[in-house]
Amino acid sequence: MTLSAVRQKLTDCLAALERGHLDRRDLQAALDLLEQDPPRTQDILYLQCSGSALTSTVLGMSRVENGEMQAEPEDPADYPYATVLEAVRAGWRIVQFPNLALLMDEKRTYGLGCEFILER
Amino acid sequence: MLTHDCPATLTDGEVLDFCKQGFMMFPGVVDADVNQRTLEYLQTRANPEPTEMVDLDWFREGVLLQPTVAGAVRSLLGARFALPNLMSSHRMETPAPAQGWHRDGGSRYTRELHYMQVFYLPQACTEAMGPTEVLPGSHFLFSTSPLMGHYGAIRGAVKTAAPAGSVFLTVYSIWHRRAASRVPSVRNLLKYNYWRTAAPVRDWRRDPHFDMATAPYHLDGPTFRPQFRDSRDAAEMFFWLCGYGDKFATYGGQGWPMPGQFAERPYGYPLAEESI
Repeated sequence: MTLSAVRQKLTDCLAALERGHLDRRDLQAALDLLEQDPPRTQDILYLQCSGSALTSTVLGMSRVENGEMQAEPEDPADYPYATVLEAVRAGWRIVQFPNLALLMDEKRTYGLGCEFILER
Repeated sequence: MLTHDCPATLTDGEVLDFCKQGFMMFPGVVDADVNQRTLEYLQTRANPEPTEMVDLDWFREGVLLQPTVAGAVRSLLGARFALPNLMSSHRMETPAPAQGWHRDGGSRYTRELHYMQVFYLPQACTEAMGPTEVLPGSHFLFSTSPLMGHYGAIRGAVKTAAPAGSVFLTVYSIWHRRAASRVPSVRNLLKYNYWRTAAPVRDWRRDPHFDMATAPYHLDGPTFRPQFRDSRDAAEMFFWLCGYGDKFATYGGQGWPMPGQFAERPYGYPLAEESI
């Protein structure tokens, strides 16, 4: 069960109600979704960004979902989120902000710079 | 030590581009018969370090001293550069997942170029076969391989898919990995190093229109660095290669070597007459 699945089912119920076709079974299906066990694995999302702002552009990414490494998008245009804020809006929670101690050196750049780690 | 000398073939602009990118590709420069002979040699040997190849006349002449490659190596490593004394064979079966991003062991964070890592493809390597992927400019990004393991897709990364007989030169510490492959194949790749024996000096092909005060030191695309740091990094490396490493200095601000349409030339150029 995911909250988004329940939300989608209830949205479908509302649409059915407006059309006058809402059936008891539709509401029961939404309730049944709530009874399902939540996923037990933690999803992880790494986002490397151009800055420490949540609105800065994503320059690199990798993702673990359902316990599996996900295929990398070939084209940056296909990255699932253009900014960290977009990922947050999609339900990801930030568990680590960029390590500012690595960003204070004027003469050396460490790694890819500003990295956010998110989970859900 | 076996050394070699030959005409330096790169221009100022090409040397600077190598400084900015950290790699340079020469597609299909090795003759087809040498590629075929190399493949046949590798097919009969499972040795991941076939170093004896550096002593084979046909391989040395056809690959290690291929004129385009040797001219570029001579430009970047100077006169009497030392030939490889170790050969690594990255022969593998595909399909396979992507390798983790890494810098090879022994990498140092420096603007100096004392050796180069070179990749030779005796066979064509398509994108589906998982070519080596490099991140332009990453020789200026400090990290250690264990801290790169979680990196995946990176904007600006380049897949070196290329025809048979291609050679690409890299700064040893450039970030790279084997890309994910999707088709069944046996991929062959040889990797080796050339070494500098002479002090750096600007003895490659001079371009009369190249002005070190106004040259484009900036890297196009993501640099993963604060604004203009890429220009500073590349300029410092270029100066070192020219033999001017001790003269390199920047003042910051809107001064050399940041890009811009300056009236006359930017302030702060360290070789300007008023600066020397």
